[in-house]
Amino acid sequence: MAEQKTLGERLAEHGVSRRAFVKYASWLGSLMALPPATSRAMAAELAKAKRQSVIWLSFQECTGCTESITRSKGPTLEDLIFDFISLDYHHTLQAASGEAIEAARHAAMAENKGKYVVVVDGSVPMKDGGIYSTTAGHSNYDTLMETVKDAFAVIAVGTCATYGGIPKANPNPTGAVSIGDLVKDKPVINIPGCPPIPEAMTGTVAYLLSFGKVPELDHLGRPKAFFGENIHDRCYRRPFYERGQFAHAFDDQGARDGWCLYELGCKGPVTYNACATMKWNGGVSFPIQSGHGCLGCSEPDFWDKGGFYVPLSASIGPTAKLVGGAALAGAVAGVAAAAVARHRKSSLNKG
Amino acid sequence: MNADCGHPAPAASLADAVFAELAHALARLAETGEETVVDLRSLPFGPADLEALAEKLGTGEVTVTLAVAGRSEVRETGWAGIWWVRHFGDGEDVVAEEVQVTRIPEILVSHPDDVAFAARRMADAVVTTGPQEPTAADEEDMSRG
Repeated sequence: MAEQKTLGERLAEHGVSRRAFVKYASWLGSLMALPPATSRAMAAELAKAKRQSVIWLSFQECTGCTESITRSKGPTLEDLIFDFISLDYHHTLQAASGEAIEAARHAAMAENKGKYVVVVDGSVPMKDGGIYSTTAGHSNYDTLMETVKDAFAVIAVGTCATYGGIPKANPNPTGAVSIGDLVKDKPVINIPGCPPIPEAMTGTVAYLLSFGKVPELDHLGRPKAFFGENIHDRCYRRPFYERGQFAHAFDDQGARDGWCLYELGCKGPVTYNACATMKWNGGVSFPIQSGHGCLGCSEPDFWDKGGFYVPLSASIGPTAKLVGGAALAGAVAGVAAAAVARHRKSSLNKG
Repeated sequence: MNADCGHPAPAASLADAVFAELAHALARLAETGEETVVDLRSLPFGPADLEALAEKLGTGEVTVTLAVAGRSEVRETGWAGIWWVRHFGDGEDVVAEEVQVTRIPEILVSHPDDVAFAARRMADAVVTTGPQEPTAADEEDMSRG
């Protein structure tokens, strides 16, 4: 803690030049579709920035989000983020425990008052006084409210923290709610996904660190740079959809020929995420490329939307009204959003 | 530069469009010094488009390999002032690829703060290796000289 050195000085001491920031900013700028001039400014700002204190709170969650962020590709470029932040509290990764780590959390909060970032994965149980999930004798609600009090910003990672996720799934036995439902006086950035794409998490932290401000968000509080585009619009199987070529079973000829998975319940048309472009495991693949429809895990209540294998158009029953409306609105908004994004990128390239 | 004659494929036309954009950018660099970066990842480029563009741009006199958080490669194209920059992540994975219209890509230039830090370290190195007792090898050299 108590970092006085800039990130540039820290890396220089480890024999890494400021070229690392130029490279990092080129990579991140490309991922986030930032104008080249902004990427350049990011490189300069990162080099001058101090290490960012990050307090990571884990509530009703499965640790999948931590798995995802610690596997953000190779031991090189993408790992630089771990040199940029000081992870002062994290249940899974911290070496200390018990009273010592709670003291470390309080020390980080006091030393970086108004400047630290709180990352939360997991939802908060509100039923029965919040007894369903506690740490160090405190309910998740109390820990959250105490920790965010002097934070600069809050990043909710994963679908549980952003919308309640699996713990909130019907019948929601613990009364789970999202972070955005509880934190109203601080910026809350939502990075949903089950888990989220690691670059979306690290990229958002790097953006905060470089520019000291929250990136542009959509109506669900998600950074547009990562959630501005629709899976369906960017899917490489889209041409099959246009031609009406659908797989009807996971082992039919259509599935073998890589046709569209819409009729097998793919939620791509109503899902906003970067899976189709950034992909997973270092750009190896994403669910649709591996032959399974999108579950829509970065959208609210994805668990309760009528079944993963039910086509969007065929959704009936208690959720039909909800899903049907969302599907239509999502499809239309998707086309518009993609068109805007494409225009934005092409005009950036001109500049 | 007539390699693409008789190539009606749409792939070629996308490379042509970027090529034309780069020509304008290079004219701006020549006239006003204004630099341009084209992020190849933001374009709907396939491998064939990249190949077509690389072929049109050709190869210049300079190719540099950097070891900065993984490997990077900076190549001057056949047109002075147009550089092809590729950043690799883990291994052979290209994580960023851009064409820069500039006299020298920023990543090649030593940063002033790095230079200042190196200057301090080097001054220390001079002090510690400077006025030392002559070693046996030095004395041998002197007796021979």
